[in-house]
Order: sequence, then structure tokens, then C-alpha cells
Amino acid sequence: MVAIAIARQTVREALRRRVFWIFLIVAVFLIGLGPVLGFLTPKESQTIMRSLGLAVILLAGLFITIVTCIYLIPVEIERRTIYTVLSKPVQRFEFVLGKFLGGFAIVFLSIAAMGAVFLALVYFQGTTRGPDAGVLVWLTSGKFPKEMVLGVVLTFFQMMLLAALTIFFSTFATPVLNFFMSFGIFIVGNLSSVTESLTTSKNGLTSAIGKIIHYMLPNFGNFNVQNAIIHPTTEISNQGVFIRNNIIYALIYSAVLLILAVIIFDRREV
Amino acid sequence: MATVIKKYPFETVRRRMSLLPAVLAGLGLAAFMQGQIDPDAKQFHPKDNFGKTANGGLNNEFLLLPLLGFREAAAGLLWVRCDEFFHSGDYDAILPLVRLITWLDPHAENVYITGAWHLAYNFTDANERSDRRYIAPSQSLLEEGVENNFDIPDIKFELGWQRYDKIKDFKGAEEAFKLAVATKVNKNSDDFPYGAPLKTLHILAHTYEKQGRIPEALEEWKLAIARSEEMLARSPKDYSAKSLHEAEVRNYAENIQRFNNRYSTTGHDSVNPSPYPEVLEPPPGSADKTPRSWDVAFKPELRIVRPKVFKVGGQFNSQDGARIDVRITDWNYQDRKITGTLNDFSVDPAQTILIDSISVRKNHFEREMDMSKDPKMYSFSQDFYRVVLSYNPRTTAPHLLDRFGWSGEGMTDAEKSHVFMDTDPDRTGTAYIEGQGAVPPVWDGKTVPFTNHSQPLRLIKVTYKISREQIMNQKPISENDIVSVQ
Repeated sequence: MVAIAIARQTVREALRRRVFWIFLIVAVFLIGLGPVLGFLTPKESQTIMRSLGLAVILLAGLFITIVTCIYLIPVEIERRTIYTVLSKPVQRFEFVLGKFLGGFAIVFLSIAAMGAVFLALVYFQGTTRGPDAGVLVWLTSGKFPKEMVLGVVLTFFQMMLLAALTIFFSTFATPVLNFFMSFGIFIVGNLSSVTESLTTSKNGLTSAIGKIIHYMLPNFGNFNVQNAIIHPTTEISNQGVFIRNNIIYALIYSAVLLILAVIIFDRREV
Repeated sequence: MATVIKKYPFETVRRRMSLLPAVLAGLGLAAFMQGQIDPDAKQFHPKDNFGKTANGGLNNEFLLLPLLGFREAAAGLLWVRCDEFFHSGDYDAILPLVRLITWLDPHAENVYITGAWHLAYNFTDANERSDRRYIAPSQSLLEEGVENNFDIPDIKFELGWQRYDKIKDFKGAEEAFKLAVATKVNKNSDDFPYGAPLKTLHILAHTYEKQGRIPEALEEWKLAIARSEEMLARSPKDYSAKSLHEAEVRNYAENIQRFNNRYSTTGHDSVNPSPYPEVLEPPPGSADKTPRSWDVAFKPELRIVRPKVFKVGGQFNSQDGARIDVRITDWNYQDRKITGTLNDFSVDPAQTILIDSISVRKNHFEREMDMSKDPKMYSFSQDFYRVVLSYNPRTTAPHLLDRFGWSGEGMTDAEKSHVFMDTDPDRTGTAYIEGQGAVPPVWDGKTVPFTNHSQPLRLIKVTYKISREQIMNQKPISENDIVSVQ
């Protein structure tokens, strides 16, 4: 399939870029700093290592996603390679879809790599596994901190949504403009608890604006679950439903952004 | 060779535009999903306290991190910095960090606990006496922590412990410990299948003892014994559970024995072989065998030896180990209100308060209290001051309680103005013996409900009203400065 071929090529190109590797290596290094804080009590050390690890995955994922995805389409136009591609029997929607899939794959690879390092550290820190427990025993004993995987998975879907947004902007905006727009919407989208409170404001105008922001803009704050999961004693109700809803939300919103990107890219002169 | 670019006919573009309804439907679906997510999302988001607790708010650089989802990481790193300040003794720097961290991560229960302990215990004068003005902020911080972490027993326990140990507010401690015991069971907790650790039952029982409510203490020890027996049934070789169980059984038996020795004419052991209840034991060697309370013959002496340096002493007729409480405050001193949330760590520099206690040795007590070295703690900026010297049987040693009783029933003073009956319902104990100010019937261990508290707390108490002039040693303090107000 053409879109898959384009996606594969997109990933290859992204992996050739040094900036991707720099972000990834720095992130892995920062995650590795977590156990250095072992001078605190085991509980505090565990909390700090987990919060630091998840935060680094989020921050590195954020920069990798934006820096990689803002160039996916503009660079093809700037280098004029898009002419070569579109002169072949390739539909424009296939091109955009391929770029989307390529962007998602990059996000997946980077989050998965950082997540693996992070979970390995959680294992070696030993707070949850008990003395001398092997990896398999740890994974199957029920002591494995599943909520850490949940944190990494939700970060992936958050970044997937961000990648979709960035690629959507890249169909009509310059990379610099795209960077600020994506980053700005990411920050606004992280204020979900604030925007939700705006929706119930007594002022009609504020409430209307709050509703538009809260329900129409991509809501990145939904995926921030760190506070509840890094504290082992916090009990979370409806966790499965919450995760499922968030994943569905990310998929639907990404699909919407993909359709919009296709519509805009179709009308664009290249 | 010229590049051939595929031109999309108008029809194709129009066909693509037909996707717009799909976009709208998708956005509608996303909005619907958002509505589904919102109710559950609240439990993942730290409570926003900005409207409630922040007077000035956070600076932009601190806000940026939380905006990027870095709240907990920022809080964790700040806590590491706090730890360094603790080790270097830079205590003043810790307070704002504690405030910041608990804003960023309201689930950081150890920060609430350590921060409150720091406030209540670590700000001291040159003689290691706590600055009591920090008690209210400390309590407020803990109450805020409880509110933000209601499903965790630790902060409730700490709130209770501070009231028990530092403030001697045993009723308040009881409420906090009960709250901890009632914590919802959490399968992720080390205390599962219980809401709070076993030690909470133990301290709650001791809190009842401190209030002279032994029947309730006995009930609490029974609950603790049942729980440790369950633990032993699950793990018969658990040495810790075994020793806890033994201690609980011993404490339970000890409370019953003490009740018999102190208040009844039967069931005595070697500690009280006489036929009298120990709290009304006739004086040794006296021909008059009428049961009576013990005259402590309190004779306080208060002098100023140098400006702002008090010499507190006097006579107190008891065995060694009694402690005379000393409280020096502004005449109209009022504790800062505990608000349940902490807006401000600062204390009122115009307030003066000192609380200390002096041990009695061979019926005599004496201490020099130098308040001149800490002008930030003791500003003496008011015109008049209240000096209260008192003896509270509830905070005394068990061997003295044997004679004085849990509520001071066996204690009196020939000088009647020294005897103060505290009838505040929050401090009344169980009535164990007739004729000591309580409303009958007294507890008999069988028919009278143990929740029947009517025994007033009997204190020995003397209050002085002295002027700033006297504190500056420009005018002597005399017995005329003793006031009848209690």
C-alpha cells in the first residue's frame, strides 16, 4: 500500500536526523538519573524516580513529536521531492496518510524506547519486586506496577494526538508558525481542569468560550495521570473506562485532524 | 524533463469537501467523549488550590513546569532541595518550599507531615522551647493535607499525634485518630485489609486513658487485641504481631487493675493492699482514717531577676515526678485560628507566648526562664501579661495518677482558690467515684454506659496578671498580682 511505503520512508528519514537521537539520548540519560536519588527513604525515592521518569518521557516526547512532525510535509515541498511523489500514481490523501502514519511510528518508537528504559529502572530499583525476584516473576506476581505502563501508554496517545495536530498544521503553515501553534494548543489543552471549570461559569460569554475550548480543542490534560499513579496508595476508580475513553478520544480526534489535513492539502497549490 | 503535476479536477476537491460532515461528526463525537472523560479525570488532577490558598500565586517559571505536566517532578526535585536544607539547618528556607511542593503535588503526604512537624517542633528559643505561634499554621497544614488525602490515614495520624503530644488536646487527638481508623480500606495499602495501621488503635486507647475515659480505652484495646489475633492467625510466626498482641493484653489488664486500685475498695493488688480506694487513701500515719483527697499545698513563687528573666518556683506537696506547667502570654493572647488550609506561614511578631514545665523534686520546683535572648519570639510589646502556673493530672506520671486519679479526684489544695474544676464537656472524664463533682451514677463496669462522662477535670492553678514594667524588673511581683480569674 502506498501510504505504508510513504510512512516507512518517513520513519527512515526521521531516524537519520540527529536532533531525534539527541533528544532521545538526553531523555534516556535523564531517566537514568532517577536512582541517584536513592538517599531518600524508599517511598520518597520511588515517588521521585517515577515522577521524574514520566515527566522526562513526556517532555522528550513533546519535543521529538513537534520537532519531527512540523517538517514532515514542508520539507518535501521545500526540497521539491513532493513533485516526484505526486507525479506518480499517488493520491494526495495517501501522501498525507503516509505522513501521519510515519509520524505516529516515530512517536511510538521514541516513547517505547524511553518507556522500556524507565520500566527497567523501576524493576532494578527493587521497591516493588522484592529481593531476588526475576523479571518474569515480577511481571506475573501482581507486584509489577501496571500503573507505570499506563502512564507511558497514555503519554503515547497524548503524543499521537499532538503529532496529528502538528501534521495537520504542517499542511498549511510554515514550520516556525506550526511550532508555536502546536506548542500553544498543547499548553492550553493541558489546562483541562481550568477549562472545565470555565464551562460552569455564571458569565454566559465565559462559559461559552470555556465550552468551545474544553470540547473543541484537543484536550491534552486528559492524559496527565501522573499525580494519581506515582503515589502507590492512591486508589483510582473506573480506571479501565477512563483509559478506554481517552484512547478512543485520541483516535477520533486524530482521525478528524487527518480528514481536515486531507481536505486542506487537496486544495493547496504545490 | 518537465515535471508533470497531477491537477485535481474540481470534482475531486468537491468530493473531498463532502468529508466535512464527517469532520463535524468526529468533533461532536470527540466532545461527547470529553464529557465522558471529565467525571473520571478529576481524580487524576491535583486539586487546584490557587483560589483557596494562594495569596500571591506562583511565579511564571513555576507555572510553566506544571503546564507541561511536570507538577510532580518539580515537587519531587524541590523536596530533594528541602532535604538538603534540613541537613544544613537552614530551617527558614524550608517553609516556602513546603508550601510550593504541596501546591504542586497535593498527594505528597510526607511533605505535609514533615512540614507540619518542622513548624511545630523546630522553631525554638535559646533553651529549646518551641515557638508556640507556629502550632496553628502546623495544624492548618495538616488539616489541608487530610482534606487533600482523605483516603490515606498517615496525615490524620500525624494530626492526632501533634494534638496528643504537642498541644495536649486529647479530645482533638481522639477525633483525628478516629478519623484515621475510619479511613477507607485500600487494597494497595500496607494496612490492607484495614484502613489504618494497628498503632492507630493503640494511640487512640492511650488518648482515652489521657482523658480519664478508661472504659472506652478498654474497648479500644479489645479491638486491637482482636486485630492482632487475626494477624497471628494469618501468620502465626509473625514475631512483631506476637509482641504487639502481648503488649495489648498487658495494657488492657493494666487499665483494669489501675481502675480497681485507684477507685474501688476491692480487687486490689500489691500496689494498693489497703481497704481504701487509692485516690482517697487516708494520709499515712494519721490517726484519722477518713478517706480524703490529698492536699498538694501549692505555694507558687514568681520573681523577675533581670529584665525579661523569670524565676519560677515554689512548693508542691507530691511525690517526685510531678510537673508544674508554666504558661506566660500576653494578657489577651489568642491562638491563631486554625483554618483548615494554610495561607500564611508568618507569625505575629507582637505576640508573646511561652509554655514550659518544671519538675517537682522533694516537694519543690524552681527554674529560671530567660526570655531576654529571643526578642523575635518574646517581644513583650503589650502592657499586661498572664502567667499561669498549673498542675494537670492528665499529663502526669502513672505513679502520681495512682493517688490523684485520672481526673484529679484524689487531689485538692487547702487554699480553695488554687483548685479549678474544668467542666468543659470536651475534657470531662468517666465518673468513677462518688462525691468528687461528677454527676452520678458512677461507672460500675457493668450497667452504667461507658459513654457517660461527667467527671470534671480538677486542676491546681494560679494566675498572675503582671505589667510590662514588672517584666522589665522595674517593679516587684507580689501575691497581690495573683488574680481570681482562671
